Amino acid sequence: MMEEYPIELTINGEKIVSTAKAEESLLRFLRRHGFYEVKGGCEKGDCGTCTVIMNGKAIKSCITLAGQANGKEILTVRGLEKEESGRKLQESFVQHGAIQCGFCTAGMLMTAKAYLDENHQPNKVEIRKAISGNLCRCTGYKKIVEAIYAVAEENQKSK
Amino acid sequence: MSQFRYISPKTKEEVLKILEEEKSEACIVAGGSNVLPYIRDKIIPPKLLLDISGIEELNYIKKNGSNWRIGATTTISDLISSKIIREECNILCQAAEQFADPLVRNKATIGGNLADASPAADTAPPLLALDAGLEVESKGKKREIFLKDFFLGPRKTALQDDEMITGINFKSDSLNKPGCFIKLGLRQAMAISVVTVAMVLEIEENRVKDIRVAMGSVAPIPLRLFNAEEFLKNKHLNDDLIEEAKNKVYEEVNPISDIRASAEYRCYISGILFKRALEKLTNQTS
Repeated sequence: MMEEYPIELTINGEKIVSTAKAEESLLRFLRRHGFYEVKGGCEKGDCGTCTVIMNGKAIKSCITLAGQANGKEILTVRGLEKEESGRKLQESFVQHGAIQCGFCTAGMLMTAKAYLDENHQPNKVEIRKAISGNLCRCTGYKKIVEAIYAVAEENQKSK
Repeated sequence: MSQFRYISPKTKEEVLKILEEEKSEACIVAGGSNVLPYIRDKIIPPKLLLDISGIEELNYIKKNGSNWRIGATTTISDLISSKIIREECNILCQAAEQFADPLVRNKATIGGNLADASPAADTAPPLLALDAGLEVESKGKKREIFLKDFFLGPRKTALQDDEMITGINFKSDSLNKPGCFIKLGLRQAMAISVVTVAMVLEIEENRVKDIRVAMGSVAPIPLRLFNAEEFLKNKHLNDDLIEEAKNKVYEEVNPISDIRASAEYRCYISGILFKRALEKLTNQTS
């Protein structure tokens, strides 16, 4: 029962051994350790810009205690380029103009990655539902949905 | 100045021991989707954050004959991906699919949603309609609280300081099969409900053999509508009767006005959703 406690986790394949403050969110912990690509938005679980993938599931890091990531594997948007599926999504977002101000992009990509890893033949309505926890105020979601759908389609073809 | 502390026990027994020692000084964290915003907004003073998210023994969905048991740390996503819930307890699946958003559902737990005791908790109305009970434990002691007796007010429950919810149970019978959950929110996702309704209905020879109805966001607690249920029992459903039943609903609900809707609107909508649920279920069962 400590105000600070030891924590060990893997972030983008890199092992991090450190301490976390009792009430520290995973978001704050990640940023304190230099993972500035994880963006803080509302910090109450509404906007989704802080989304990371923890053991394969997309979660909002602002409503996750750092301790809840102890022993887990975290993937942030910086780690996406190491995986082919991540790179494809990044390229598709660029090609489809799915980025305007960039506020939602980091989180949107992570949600899309976790979703496509588990769902191989989604339609556009399902994609809309999948990204419903990530707010975008610029694109009207259309281009983001198209970008994700294009990757899903390409994955199907290459199979 | 007191500070937050953190511990993440690996077993239920450890949690109960800590609760016995710390009592109200401990704050159980499961998904964290409510607790972290409360910390941020200073609604929770510095306490011991007792993280139960890693306790595997509390994450389960079991069906033994007609008896269902769901562990407290079962996430909303776990409910959605459970084949048995989808096929045999669809009302809970419907509520889970409309719960917050997919990212929150990956962390939020069924026990946490109930313990938070929000009048808008999305898992509460279906579980009330299923006549669910809560398995509540403290060190060396177990008891069961009917969900209808569990909520005492907004964020107030019948839990003692040294107790935790360990599981939820209910019986499935023919009544529980056709069930529906309707949520009216201000948007399709990430919406805190304006009004929700959960209903299970059994019709026999054109008469209401049995019915259970619960609503969210229409009172200080998630509400079972016992009077409307009694009124409809053994009657032949028709448009006039449904209109009369709506009046019973208006008498039972007691909503507030907030940023999402006015009390008057919530009251009006509660009748509409009640009628929609009845129509949906009668179309399914007839």
